[in-house]
Amino acid sequence: MMLAAVSARTSSFRKRAWLAIAALLACVAGGVCATNYSLWIHGRNGGGAIGNYQDFTYWGPDSVNAGVNKRAVNWDGRNRISATNSVIRDALDCHCTGSNWCYIAAHSAGDNQIGYALSLYGGSAREVKNPDASCTGTGTTQTGWNIKWVMVAAGSAGGTELANYGAWAVSDPLTSDLKTSTARAMYDHNQTRSTWFYMLAGAKGTSYSSLLPGQDDEVIAYHSSGGVSGSGGATYCNPSDWFCNYLSYNAGPNENGTPKWGWHSVFFRDDGEVYDHYTRRNWAGIVTRLRAEMETYAQ
Amino acid sequence: MRQLRSWRWRAALGIFGLALVLGWYWLQEATAQDQSSAPGLSPAAAGFGPLPPGAGGLPGNADQAWRQRQLLASQQLDRAEHVYRSYLEATRFPPDSRPLEEHPDQARPFAPVQDEARLRDSAGRPVAGVRIRSTQDRVFVTGTEAVRFTIEAVDDEGRSVALVVRRSFAQSVPDSKTLTTLVHADVPFADDGAGVDDVAGDGRHAALLTPATQGFAERAGTIRVIAEVIANGRQGGVAFDLVYLPEMAGSWSGVREALENGALNFYLQGQVRVAGRYVASARVQDANGVPLALLQFNDVAGPGQVEFRLPLAGLLVHEKSPAFPLRLVDVEAFLLKPDTFPDRSMMPRMAGVAHVSQRYSMESFSTQEWQSEQRDRYLAEYQRDVTRAEDAVRASMRPSR
Repeated sequence: MMLAAVSARTSSFRKRAWLAIAALLACVAGGVCATNYSLWIHGRNGGGAIGNYQDFTYWGPDSVNAGVNKRAVNWDGRNRISATNSVIRDALDCHCTGSNWCYIAAHSAGDNQIGYALSLYGGSAREVKNPDASCTGTGTTQTGWNIKWVMVAAGSAGGTELANYGAWAVSDPLTSDLKTSTARAMYDHNQTRSTWFYMLAGAKGTSYSSLLPGQDDEVIAYHSSGGVSGSGGATYCNPSDWFCNYLSYNAGPNENGTPKWGWHSVFFRDDGEVYDHYTRRNWAGIVTRLRAEMETYAQ
Repeated sequence: MRQLRSWRWRAALGIFGLALVLGWYWLQEATAQDQSSAPGLSPAAAGFGPLPPGAGGLPGNADQAWRQRQLLASQQLDRAEHVYRSYLEATRFPPDSRPLEEHPDQARPFAPVQDEARLRDSAGRPVAGVRIRSTQDRVFVTGTEAVRFTIEAVDDEGRSVALVVRRSFAQSVPDSKTLTTLVHADVPFADDGAGVDDVAGDGRHAALLTPATQGFAERAGTIRVIAEVIANGRQGGVAFDLVYLPEMAGSWSGVREALENGALNFYLQGQVRVAGRYVASARVQDANGVPLALLQFNDVAGPGQVEFRLPLAGLLVHEKSPAFPLRLVDVEAFLLKPDTFPDRSMMPRMAGVAHVSQRYSMESFSTQEWQSEQRDRYLAEYQRDVTRAEDAVRASMRPSR
């Protein structure tokens, strides 16, 4: 019995080993390696070197597990979304075409970047590229990118009142894009090409609670981090607050019936008011959750 | 030896060697990733919920790790199945022909942008007991278009509070730090029921800015309108931003329709100045005004005469069973200018009914779901993810001792 079991196990191992070698040979010879990538798109202020997909300066130590084959999509973090979006599209062309697929993680204004790219360019013909160091083209095209889903922490696609009221000491061009009226008018947020945006909303905000309506993470209020449709300035809270409509989980309407943008789903709401906005270059704040969820789901 | 010297064998050995090296490298990478979780962030701490009860049989940590693996595998399967099912369901219709309820804030694109917030003093501090309600009827402005603004003050119960606009003006907001001359223009608010204001003395003050005729004709970029106000004896400020581009993208000449391959296509006809990517959208209502669909165009066109095709999918017509004739309403479009700011030059708005369709029988429309390489590609990948997740769940059922 024992010998039979060992023999069966060895046979199974051999079979799998041969299959793996065959796949590797096909991958090397034919260039048809299907690989999943986790692209991390940061928010305001940037930090990493633009074009260096290994530079995770904005986020924290790059030794952590942050999803399969993680890549940092670095843009300057201070100029307009429209003027800097080509960096994001280049990264998507490089890693998310052909036989390769991507999971996207975005923080703060990274939400605006991926939303803008998908809404306005997500149905265009994209050059299929190899995800090598220089992202060489293959000479073929495909419609749109290969994106499995997007996970967003503290998304600012709905804008922030801090930009409305000039609360930031440094007012860069990006700040104007983050005003609630401008951010919400910039593109059709519902047009995600049927790709899910899973939203993570932090609520450990104190300093700017007089400026930001409802719950916030000190920079972004729930109306934006929860992907709520409609005009900015609306007030959403946690269920423990009896005097304020709560932001509902998942994709359905909030307590007061207001809808979320299409294909936006609240995946995490900070009922314990534990997570603020800031990464502290150590995967901190609400990005703690984002990283953990990417580790679990982006494989 | 002769065989070994043949080029085929050498190539095969080379590939095999490379595969071994890559395999070794991949194993090293995978191991390094597995061992490099962020400190203090176990899956349990990350909030994956309580462990399933009754999965005993293994001692201590091993038992817990097994249960954790089961839970994770189950959650990954849930995610994979949800993504697959929702994509399959939604993409019965093409991306440019969507049910309007899927785009809730696109139903009335020309409705003014509304905001309500506490009045702020000059230091940005909130003024107790006074809220400012404001509107602006567009954010992106092109050519000779004008923008209407309104402001009113209310108390915390929503009752009107007397408001005085001390001073109001528009100014250019340069993106660059290069020294440049700022443009200023007065933008007077009034509550006199004349001109731009609807009703005299109702507490809602209105103003109009026409950038092309108020000094901004040569300035593409952000224009900020600032109103300094007094309400309840307290001073504060209200600011509006708009994005202006002097040149219109083109003009419209009409709309035609055609029933083609079981879909009703609306063609926006016009003239555009330059070649580029144009983005257009329109809403479809049925004869009773019931919202039906959002149609979108996003493709390269021009210059010269153009037709933007807006398809209404036959299957969507079948599922909504609208009353004919259909109405194409609230058409907006712009030239999308990549990698620059401002990123768009608008076409004139077509507010209200732009076109009324003919009457068609339901048999005229196709019941086919959307077919495309893109949809096939996504469904195949999502199905693979489900299969992988199912395998992982099955594997997690076996405790590893």
